[in-house]
Amino acid sequence: MNYDRYPEIKPGRKTIKRIYIAVMLFVVGRAIQAACRVDETVKKEFKNLKDGFAFVLGVHPYGPWMIVGRDAKGRAKYMGWNPEGKKIPLKMSIKNVESAILVFTFQESTAVAFARNRFVVDGDLIDALAVVRVLDLVEVYLLPKLIAALAVKRYPKWSELSPVRKHVGRIVIYTRALLGF
Amino acid sequence: MFLPDYYEFCARVKTVAGHRALDRIPSMLSSLGVARPMIITDRGVSGAGLIKLVSGAMKGSKARVGAVYDEVPPDSEYTIVNAAAKLYRAKKCDSIIAVGGGSVLDTAKGVNILVSLGGANILDYEGAGAVKRKLKPMIAIPTTSGTGSEVTVVAVIADHKKKVKIPFTSYFLLPDIALLDSRMTKTLPPFLTAPTAMDAMTHACEAYYCMAKNPLSDATALMAIRLISANILNVIKKPGDLQGRLDLANGAILAGMAFSNSMVGMVHNLGHATGGACGVPHGVCMSLFLPYGLEYNMHKRAKEIGELLFALAGPEVYAATPVKQRPEKTIEYIRKLNQDLHDATGGRHARFLKEIVDREGRQMVPKEKLADIARTAQGDGAKVYNPEEINYDDAMMVLEYAYDGKPLKRKKIRKG
Repeated sequence: MNYDRYPEIKPGRKTIKRIYIAVMLFVVGRAIQAACRVDETVKKEFKNLKDGFAFVLGVHPYGPWMIVGRDAKGRAKYMGWNPEGKKIPLKMSIKNVESAILVFTFQESTAVAFARNRFVVDGDLIDALAVVRVLDLVEVYLLPKLIAALAVKRYPKWSELSPVRKHVGRIVIYTRALLGF
Repeated sequence: MFLPDYYEFCARVKTVAGHRALDRIPSMLSSLGVARPMIITDRGVSGAGLIKLVSGAMKGSKARVGAVYDEVPPDSEYTIVNAAAKLYRAKKCDSIIAVGGGSVLDTAKGVNILVSLGGANILDYEGAGAVKRKLKPMIAIPTTSGTGSEVTVVAVIADHKKKVKIPFTSYFLLPDIALLDSRMTKTLPPFLTAPTAMDAMTHACEAYYCMAKNPLSDATALMAIRLISANILNVIKKPGDLQGRLDLANGAILAGMAFSNSMVGMVHNLGHATGGACGVPHGVCMSLFLPYGLEYNMHKRAKEIGELLFALAGPEVYAATPVKQRPEKTIEYIRKLNQDLHDATGGRHARFLKEIVDREGRQMVPKEKLADIARTAQGDGAKVYNPEEINYDDAMMVLEYAYDGKPLKRKKIRKG
């Protein structure tokens, strides 16, 4: 029997897409840390989470990942990209690279991605919803309205987030995220 | 027509339905290869003689009932699941027959997780990704026509200390067999038939207009609404109507199939929170919040809400109503149905929050609890699938209207 007629197929790495997702996760992770020091709503969300809380968000099964935790003062802390050896109570993974690309290129909002069963949540759902609220708000700060409106279900009204608060917050969050404090 | 770019649908439960479907139990048990099933039920079901019906149907089977756990309360919590799992292990059972309403079926699913995957506390498996392999064989026999849990991937179990309801989601939570026998719902009194059937109605309506809707869930949702709408009042007026009972049970299972694959929205979000914070039965919350869910999402889902009228009211009413008026007519129809159920049950079917009372006649949802409910709702997963965003202020606004039973002022809805 000629076994060469039946080739083994190795899955592709999709390196470029993985790099893009890794960069997005890095920026969003550091932005969450920054937003927690700038925005009262994000600050409150992290204050309400349990001591020792952390979550990992990324692509199943090989990553990339980002880990964000809650420090002793109740603030968000970006904890890097490698979940190995870390105690992480909440894992939110997107089922594959292509689904993650749809989310991180804002072709699909987080809610639509959930509706299309692209996320797997392993851990406390109440905490997961708090993370989704934080992610939505961080996207509003990081992205121009045209793009952020695609990523969230309802773009905040003026009464919820004034333009001054949004623009000043955006500058401070970008600065802090780039400098990492 | 709304068709999503992508969807998933799974309804792999063998369904056996009929007036004497229980007679099939011996062959079902042998096809599952089990010898010692544990029956999980509640006192009401066993008191009504329904467990005798099930064990009577098992005569002639090689299988023997390993244990009967009949202490599931109306709003089951994780400690009950943990206790029942302990009994299952002690009695060396090998499968589960769940006989009851939503609380019993969800408890049985929780027990199945623990006895199949190990562990002593069901809370270790909460969320959507924790149950990753096949569980022990399970037969679900509903005794209410509402929950649809016999065909859903979800189990909702309460944590009374934290006053929250915790969802467990996995395709492995689908029972192996759903068995609908009209005799099993015959004894359900009208004041319970009404809210449980409206629970099923809500599953179907939310499945049809919420974010994960898809062509297969649409088909099952519309047929569910037709069956429920055509039979709900008749069965309440004539509880012994076995054909009506079977039709309602079929409506509930179809609604379960629909929402299990498209999830639910604001009605369940507020309903779970009201149940968690005030202990209000799930079906009661569903029937009174349903018109508000439709009103709240009208600006995003008018077409779909209008289409519900066909299944609800029939082709004559649908054809006689101009397209633009159909969405409002749907809401009007649901409100009228709630009023008719209120009248048919001698006032026991609550139409708004203020009206809900417990067995001693005490008000269950005092106005000062609304803030608690709105806060709890922020931690409930159903909000993700609602077409419009619902934050704390939105939930408070809807709850205040639902408290007195006033229709929503549409201008107050923040549109995304």
